[in-house]
Amino acid sequence: MSTDGHQEGAAVAVERLLVPLSDTVTVRQTVGYAVQSGLEDADSLECHLVVAMPYDADVPESDRYRDDAENLLSRAQSWVEEDAGTADVTIETATIGVDEYLFGPRDYAEIFDAYAADHGIDRVVIDPEYQPGVTAQLLQPLERELERIGLTYEEAPVERPARRGRLVGETEDFDRLFATFWISYGFYLVLGDPTYWFDLLTGAAVAGIVAVSLAQVTFTVPLDRVQSPIRVVRFAIYVPYLLWEIIKANIAVSAVILRPSMPIDPSLSRVNSRVRSGLPLTALANSITLTPGTLTVRATNQELLVHSLIPDAREDLFDGGLERGIRFVFYGRAAAAIPSPRERDDAEIVGGEEL
Amino acid sequence: MIETLQFWAVVVLLGLGVFFTFVSTVGVLRLPDIYARAHTASQTDTLGAGFALAAVAVAFGWQQATVYSVLLLFFVFITNPTAAHAIARSAAETGVEPLLTEDPDDADDDANTAVESEGEVQ
Amino acid sequence: MTPWSLETVFLGGAAAFVVLAIAMFYRAVVGPTTQDRLLAVNVLGTNTVVILALLAAGLDQAWFLDVALIYALLNFLMSIAISKFTVERGGVL
Repeated sequence: MSTDGHQEGAAVAVERLLVPLSDTVTVRQTVGYAVQSGLEDADSLECHLVVAMPYDADVPESDRYRDDAENLLSRAQSWVEEDAGTADVTIETATIGVDEYLFGPRDYAEIFDAYAADHGIDRVVIDPEYQPGVTAQLLQPLERELERIGLTYEEAPVERPARRGRLVGETEDFDRLFATFWISYGFYLVLGDPTYWFDLLTGAAVAGIVAVSLAQVTFTVPLDRVQSPIRVVRFAIYVPYLLWEIIKANIAVSAVILRPSMPIDPSLSRVNSRVRSGLPLTALANSITLTPGTLTVRATNQELLVHSLIPDAREDLFDGGLERGIRFVFYGRAAAAIPSPRERDDAEIVGGEEL
Repeated sequence: MIETLQFWAVVVLLGLGVFFTFVSTVGVLRLPDIYARAHTASQTDTLGAGFALAAVAVAFGWQQATVYSVLLLFFVFITNPTAAHAIARSAAETGVEPLLTEDPDDADDDANTAVESEGEVQ
Repeated sequence: MTPWSLETVFLGGAAAFVVLAIAMFYRAVVGPTTQDRLLAVNVLGTNTVVILALLAAGLDQAWFLDVALIYALLNFLMSIAISKFTVERGGVL
């Protein structure tokens, strides 16, 4: 790869691209598009591949984050080399945001802007699925922030895995509107009087406003017309099981607290759960917290740091009953039959310094 | 007859609710650190509030107030683990050290030997 | 048949919850950490919701439940605000 391409030709002939990377299914295509489009406009290309570290990268697990980032960068570098062929392409890689505590889309937009200013970037190419470590989908707010800052960006026109095209995107929006509307209408009517015309009318108006303004933030994951209702039903089956677990744990904890000697045995353990980030992990972490005796202190990606008060509660956690329940809710009965965290070696007791 | 049954159902449910809230209050006052207290605080939120609100629902019989009680319970269930987690996390981030059993290995040597030897890595 | 009226039972239950809530104040005042106070206030919030519901049954004022519901929702907003505030900058509450 030539490094001095931009000094030979006219200054305009060098295109400097910034490509923020995250580990998604479309990252390969994004890199490919960036190289191709960059070489169309200019003779030589300077391709800056960066990974932005998310806000929670400074926790002890950060080594893994850093390894993942390095890994991704080296893969991306080889992709660029592969796509560039004989063309004049310079590659720069960087990990940014390590000391910045990135949290919201604004932080990301600002750090990209700062990087662009430092390196004279002409254009930013963004992966449509871009999602740096955090659970919420970031693309739309990020684009808004980039526009606000005035940084030129472009969304790579990748082919997403099936059912995610433009057209389907509209039915997806419709699904969100539809679901939000009926949920808020139902809630309104429960509080009001479903037989009184005034409540029906005002409820419809309010639900309409709520649906239009909030549908996009209510569901971060696209709804599935078949799966989503089934999940609601399975969740209704899960609730009695959760209640039973809560009652058992309550009695155990009460017995310990009321005994004058109070034989508690607090410990911290780390559990690698086998549920996806986002709603399933939230549901699992909340179920664990709701059960007295276990308390989720931290939830990063799939790793839960759990404080347990008594050995019995820790044993229950390692047996993974709640995890199976959550897997049943989100993935179905077949997925629920997995080995417990203890059997898979995914659970360990850690010291206080892990916090 | 029905009324007697309803009465005793209410008394039992309310009694359980008060009992678990009592345990929870004792726990919050007695336990040594913030993490341990958070466990027992969730007792109020789950069974304490749960049984008390169930008593209210039983007393109102089948009418809209019952739906309200169930909704209330639903909100309490959804919101409080979130709050407990936020509090524990903020404690962790501001550097509050948890009180742990000194050596997890001789705390109990029964069924979990495999897991505990894993824990020695720390 | 029944030794007390249903109203008495509910008012008695509410009184018990008030006593427990007052005991919880000890933790809110003493602390020692901010999070301890926060936790105590959070539990107090739940207690308040329950007390409101018990009063609704005891005084036969079903609209008290509306107040309780709003209180529960505000509690929820508070917890969301707190979690966002703490996680965002890792700041001290």
